[in-house]
Amino acid sequence: MLRTASFSGQVGLITILEAWEEAKLDKADPSRIGLVIGGSNFQQRDMVQMHEAYADRVHFVRPTYGLTFMDSDLVGLCTEQFGIKGISYTLGGASASGQLAIIQAIQAVQSGQVDICIAMGALMDVSYWECQAFRSLGAMGSDRFADEPEKACRPFDRERDGFIYGESCGAVVIERTESAISRQITPYAIITGWAVGMDASRNPHPSYEGEVQVIKKALEQAKLSPHQIDYVNPHGTGSLVGDEIEIKAIVDCQLSNAAINATKSITGHGLSSSGAVEVIATLLQMKESRLHPTRNLESPIEESCNWVRDQSITHHVKHALSLNIGFGGINTAICFYKI
Amino acid sequence: MMNKEDIFRLVVEHTREVLPELEEYNIQPNDRLVDLGANSVDRAEIIMRTMESLSLKVPRVELFGAKNIEELVELLYEKIQSV
Repeated sequence: MLRTASFSGQVGLITILEAWEEAKLDKADPSRIGLVIGGSNFQQRDMVQMHEAYADRVHFVRPTYGLTFMDSDLVGLCTEQFGIKGISYTLGGASASGQLAIIQAIQAVQSGQVDICIAMGALMDVSYWECQAFRSLGAMGSDRFADEPEKACRPFDRERDGFIYGESCGAVVIERTESAISRQITPYAIITGWAVGMDASRNPHPSYEGEVQVIKKALEQAKLSPHQIDYVNPHGTGSLVGDEIEIKAIVDCQLSNAAINATKSITGHGLSSSGAVEVIATLLQMKESRLHPTRNLESPIEESCNWVRDQSITHHVKHALSLNIGFGGINTAICFYKI
Repeated sequence: MMNKEDIFRLVVEHTREVLPELEEYNIQPNDRLVDLGANSVDRAEIIMRTMESLSLKVPRVELFGAKNIEELVELLYEKIQSV
C-alpha cells in the first residue's frame, strides 16, 4: 500500500501508527474509533510531478493517481490500515486545520458518535507553485537569509519577513478520561475549553477581533481567568502582520504573564499539520515541565511578554492555551489542564 | 521487438514494484496476480506500468480477461504485434 500512496499518505500512516501504539488502540472497539484528518490539498507536489512526468503521454498516467489526487485517499489508507470503522473524513481549515480537526474530534466524542477519535493534522506536501504563490501573496519569507538559512525562521522577531515552510504531521487521540484509563493510559492533559470563530473575511490578514474572541471564549468555557494560564503556544508564523496582531491580542487578553514560545521557530510552518503538531508540542512540554526555546528571537516585537528565548526553561504548566489562525478568517483556541 | 519472455520479465518487475513483499518469491507464468496479493488497484497499476514500458497505447479494457500472468503476457504480446 505504501508504494502507491502519496508522500502525505505515507507520513500519515506512520504518524497514526505512533499514536495508535502509544494509546493502545488495539484494545479498543474499532467500530467506536473515528479519525478526523485536518487539511486539504495535501498532495500538490505529487500532482505536479505526475502532470510533468506524463504531460506528453497522458494515456499511461498511473491508475492510482485516480485515488491519490483526492485528499480522502488518506482516509481510505489510514482506516484500512488500522481497521477504523467509526467515522472518518477530512476537514479543511488552512493553517488552522490541525486544531480544527482536534475540535471536531472532541465534538465527535462528546456527541457519542464515537468513543475515541484520532485527530490528525496531515502533511501538506506543497509544490513550487504554492511556494511561489505564498511568496507573491507576501506570506512566505523572502530569500534574505538564503546564505544563513538557520536564521530565516524567526517568529515574533523584528527581523522576520514571512513564514518558512516545514514538513510535519501530527496525530492526537481524543477520548473521555475513563475510556483512556480503561486501557491503562495516562492522559497527557484534559481539554477544558475550546473555540472556533470566523472573521467573515477572505483576506489572509488575521483579525485582532477574531483572535481576541476565540481566546475569551475558550477561557470562558474552561472557567479560567487569563492569569491562570501558565503557558501560551501561539500561532506565531513569522509573518509580518500576523505576528503583530496575534501578540497584541495575547497582551490585550491579559496573557502577558504566561510563558510564551513559538513552536514554528523550530518546526517551520507545516500549514495543515501545524495545529496538531503545536498541540503535541504543548502536551509534551506540559508533561516534562520544560519549555522549548524560540529560535532566532533576538529582538521581540513585544517586550512585555514572558518569552522563552534562546534557552529552554523549567516551567510547571497547569493550564496551557494553544492558538491557531488560518486563511479564510479562521481562528481557533484550545485550553489544556495537566492532571 | 519484445518476445514473450521479455514481456513476462517486465510483468514480474512491475509486480515486484507494486508488491515489494514478493521480492524473494519466484513468480511463475501460471501464478494469478490476485493470488499473489494484488487487489484490483494493484493489478491496474501493474498492467499500466507494463503497458508504459512497452509503449503499448491501447485501452486497458482490451487487456481484460487474462486468467493468469501467462495469459496476460499472451494478450500483451498480441497487442504489440497488432499496433
